[in-house]
Amino acid sequence: MTLLRYTIRRILQAIPVLIGISFITFVLVNALPGDPVAIMLEGQEVDQETIEAVERRYGLDRPFHERFVTYMLGLIQGDLGYSFHRDMPVSTLMWIRLGPTLLLVISAFVFALVTAVPLGVLAAKRRNEPTDHVSRIIALIGVSTPSFWIGIMLILIFAVWLGWLPSGRLVYPWRDPAHYGFDGRLELYYQTIRHLLLPMVALGTLQMATIMRIERSSMVESLQEEYVQLARAYGVPERTILRKHAFRSAQLPIITIVGLNLSTALGGAVLIETVFEINGMGRLLIQSIQQLDYQVVMGVTIVLATIFVIGVIITDISYAYVDPRVSYGDRD
Amino acid sequence: MATTEGQLGDGEEPQVGWRHTLAQVRNDPTARFGLYIIAIATSVAIFSAVDANLSRLTLGAYHDYTIGEWLPVLENPETLPPPGEMQTYQPPVFAEGGSWDNPLGTDQSGRDYLSRIIYGARISMAVGFFATFLGLTGGVAIGAVAGYYGGWIDDVLMRFVEIIYSIPALVLVIVFTVFVSGGNPDVIYAILGVGIATVPVFSRIIRSRVLSVREMDYVEAARAAGVTDRNIIRRHIIPNSFAPVLVYATLQIGFAILIVAGLSFLGYGAQPPTPDWGQMLNHAHGQMHVNPWMSIWPGVAILLTIMGFNLFGDGLQDALDPRIDN
Amino acid sequence: MSNETILEVDGLKTHFYTEQGVVRAVDGVSFDVREREIVGIVGESGAGKSVATTSILRLIEEPGQIVDGEITYRDLTIVGFEEQDDGTLTPREAMLSNREMRDQVRGNEIAIIFQDPMESLNPVYSVGHQVTEFIELNRELSGGDARQEAIDMLREVGIPEPENRFDDYPHEFSGGMRQRVLIAMALGCRPTLIIADEPTTALDVTVEGQILDLVKDLQTKYGTSFIWVTHDMGIVAEICDRVNVMYLGEIVEQGPVDDIFHDTKHPYTQKLLESIPRPDRTVTELDPIAGTMPSAINPPRACRFHTRCPDARVACTEVEPRFVAVGNDADGDGDEHEGEHNDHRTACIKYDDVGYWDSVPLEKVGDRDIQYVGDRS
Ligand SMILES: Nc1ncnc2c1ncn2[C@@H]1O[C@H](COP(=O)(O)OP(=O)(O)OP(=O)(O)O)[C@@H](O)[C@H]1O
Ligand code: SF4
Ligand SMILES: [Mg+2]
Repeated sequence: MTLLRYTIRRILQAIPVLIGISFITFVLVNALPGDPVAIMLEGQEVDQETIEAVERRYGLDRPFHERFVTYMLGLIQGDLGYSFHRDMPVSTLMWIRLGPTLLLVISAFVFALVTAVPLGVLAAKRRNEPTDHVSRIIALIGVSTPSFWIGIMLILIFAVWLGWLPSGRLVYPWRDPAHYGFDGRLELYYQTIRHLLLPMVALGTLQMATIMRIERSSMVESLQEEYVQLARAYGVPERTILRKHAFRSAQLPIITIVGLNLSTALGGAVLIETVFEINGMGRLLIQSIQQLDYQVVMGVTIVLATIFVIGVIITDISYAYVDPRVSYGDRD
Repeated sequence: MATTEGQLGDGEEPQVGWRHTLAQVRNDPTARFGLYIIAIATSVAIFSAVDANLSRLTLGAYHDYTIGEWLPVLENPETLPPPGEMQTYQPPVFAEGGSWDNPLGTDQSGRDYLSRIIYGARISMAVGFFATFLGLTGGVAIGAVAGYYGGWIDDVLMRFVEIIYSIPALVLVIVFTVFVSGGNPDVIYAILGVGIATVPVFSRIIRSRVLSVREMDYVEAARAAGVTDRNIIRRHIIPNSFAPVLVYATLQIGFAILIVAGLSFLGYGAQPPTPDWGQMLNHAHGQMHVNPWMSIWPGVAILLTIMGFNLFGDGLQDALDPRIDN
Repeated sequence: MSNETILEVDGLKTHFYTEQGVVRAVDGVSFDVREREIVGIVGESGAGKSVATTSILRLIEEPGQIVDGEITYRDLTIVGFEEQDDGTLTPREAMLSNREMRDQVRGNEIAIIFQDPMESLNPVYSVGHQVTEFIELNRELSGGDARQEAIDMLREVGIPEPENRFDDYPHEFSGGMRQRVLIAMALGCRPTLIIADEPTTALDVTVEGQILDLVKDLQTKYGTSFIWVTHDMGIVAEICDRVNVMYLGEIVEQGPVDDIFHDTKHPYTQKLLESIPRPDRTVTELDPIAGTMPSAINPPRACRFHTRCPDARVACTEVEPRFVAVGNDADGDGDEHEGEHNDHRTACIKYDDVGYWDSVPLEKVGDRDIQYVGDRS
């Protein structure tokens, strides 16, 4: 019950943030020196009439605050505007493009967690031993390397030189296998994984490195806690201490960082989708900017930020679930 | 912690010992290594920005110039021979057809790849430093004010920061550079954009520091003694929060470079002919099947530079972390 | 009091190899614990009390190391060395392996209670779960029985409605209640010996009193022995049978509580006793021990207390004090009686015939800041 109330409260708290996000995006795209119509029609010979027609079409002839209110009213009803270039509602477009991005981002986090958590724990256990040094070097390189370059290198090695894996595009597990000409579900899933592998690693490396560092330091700290010493003093085997007594409380910072890092991962998805030609939100953003389809640009920005906000709420709730000290009341 | 009147009057707090920190960093081989990388990258950036002849070389005025001819040319610019035939996409020295004239080969316009990579340090370093400085200034101001005053000021400012933070940094920077520049993105917008995207990190650290520092005796005492809020923030709270900010600033420079590399890779950073690592990768990406080696060097350059900042930042953090001191 | 000795610590040395040098945290400490008694270890912060007690469970971690001495628990060798031909010390064959320590000693024979009840319980598991887990691990009880036992123990230590509090988390308990939980945890494992490392220091005085009463009751009921670590002579007087006074890695005086209080020998013990708050003196009149404890890296030569000792003479900087028996006079009437024991010992050259009384008081020499370089030999 309390958890439910906490959830509802967090969602209510997010509403002003979402309005703020929409506002800032709207301001950026509409009000600052770059006049969207001018940008859109740049380089084209147009007469006054066309300009006015375009302005009317987007409601640009009305004052700024009126336009914002109209846009917000639309947003509430799930109307993100209309894509001039693609001739379809922005919300429909989002719906199509959301799946690939979520697939990519979620699998990147799964990859990151599955590799980083055990490595971090091991490094903490063998502090200052070779395992630890190696994992620290991996982590250091991981946090220092641009994801898109990792993507390019992976393509070079595994697609161009070795030819083991496809160099781009994804196969979506929710599609009909016949769409790709596959025999059945099994082959579909197999191909999904094959196609996902490289972009997942490219996008997930930064997350892996970050999580590994935090896991390590969090475990090191946790292993020195008095309650861990107490468990040792009561004869609890080291394995159990590592897996249970020290582990659980050490995961709290990980939960937080996964939520916060969703932001870098979503940003990274823009690059990875470009490198691997994945038709997700990120690639849509870049395409729309090139096509000067500014309603779509706004839509993508707002939707990505909203995903982030939702992700943080989910991680906050998981945190409250794992840490009984969170009083569902005043954790900020 | 004992505080005397004299310390208060001077606005001196029990600060983390600077000398101690520096000594620690100096004793830490990895931090030192990081510092070397930063020093090299910085001096390369400054040097290449200052020397107009080198700029002309890398900008492509003399396409066929080779690295082997650098120094004589730089010393006697009047001896610059006229541009000759362009040798584009020459492979690096160790590949078949490569030569020591262009150790890393040449690019699509026949420009020496190594000199362009070296010159590229300039943009990255400039963006890293200036954007972080911007974010730091803005973040410190917002965080200090929010933490010190609390109440609705805190609420409003932190909500604003939360909003900025919610938009993925790269997306914010792209939208900012494209739309604020009116469709003509350039480095200056990138710096501004990354600066804005960096504000949340700093304002949060500063705010939490301020919240803890605010309660300390000497701040209470200063307030009781009638020191104005402004001066308390400026002379007591900000200096006292400096240590963690310094660590974050160092790490944040690396992050800024990472973002700008991405931005340039997408084509919204520095514009040609200015050499920039991300932009070079952009072109190299298209050449992946034909000239794969082109993709390697700019990435290595970015990796090394960011690693320098990360190593140094980690070293600083270790030096400043009291837990490791014990 | 002819109870059997259950734990014997002999010449224990535990050192920490830090970058600054070798910290001689425990440097040749001997004491024993008998059945059904409470033995105190008392001394200032940093004296090495915790290091000594953790050594008993062999829980010393890097960079620390037990370098010498014997620790015997009944017939089990917890720590034991033998000298090799080249003069180095290596662990004896009989010494328990880490696994044996875990399975045979920790928890089921010797349990421990730490100083800070706030930090000693895992915040992310319920209190009942934690008590049950340790009981189940150390006694041959099934899960259900262990749970019942945990509830009984919680009731025993005075947790109201233990069935209802069983699933509560540590943060929902007060400090005193948590310390009770830790006592329940320790007693629930039915050990023979419980090491209590300053278990009441973090609590306020009223709660401290309650906990001490509780422990005294339960100790009688279960017949458990205790090593009670504290820096408060008042607590020693209240609950201990015998006491060891520790200073800078060494025991300087040991004996039955009566002797220590009424026939105090060592100047350091004297100082400790003077620092007990008493109703007839205000706090400002307390006589804190002058100066601070020197570092355990290069401890003062000969008698380690000579830098702060009011009775120090030149001889104290030259002669290593031996541990000499000074007892046999528990009631202080000057005679030895039947039933008095020979347990009272101290390490101060005042009580040894090595020329203390002929030596010049240290102050007159004016060399209190003698420079000590390198290890003392
Ligand atoms: N892990 C360690 N590394 C280095 N030195 C240590 C370590 N643990 C303890 N010491 C040193 O050993 C000495 C004794 O410490 P110990 O914790 O046993 O003191 P204590 O008597 O229990 O004091 P307190 O009353 O504060 O608990 C101190 O000088 C301390 O600095
Ligand atoms: S030996 Fe000397 S210095 Fe040490 S306690 Fe006795 S009198 Fe004091
Ligand atoms: Mg202690």
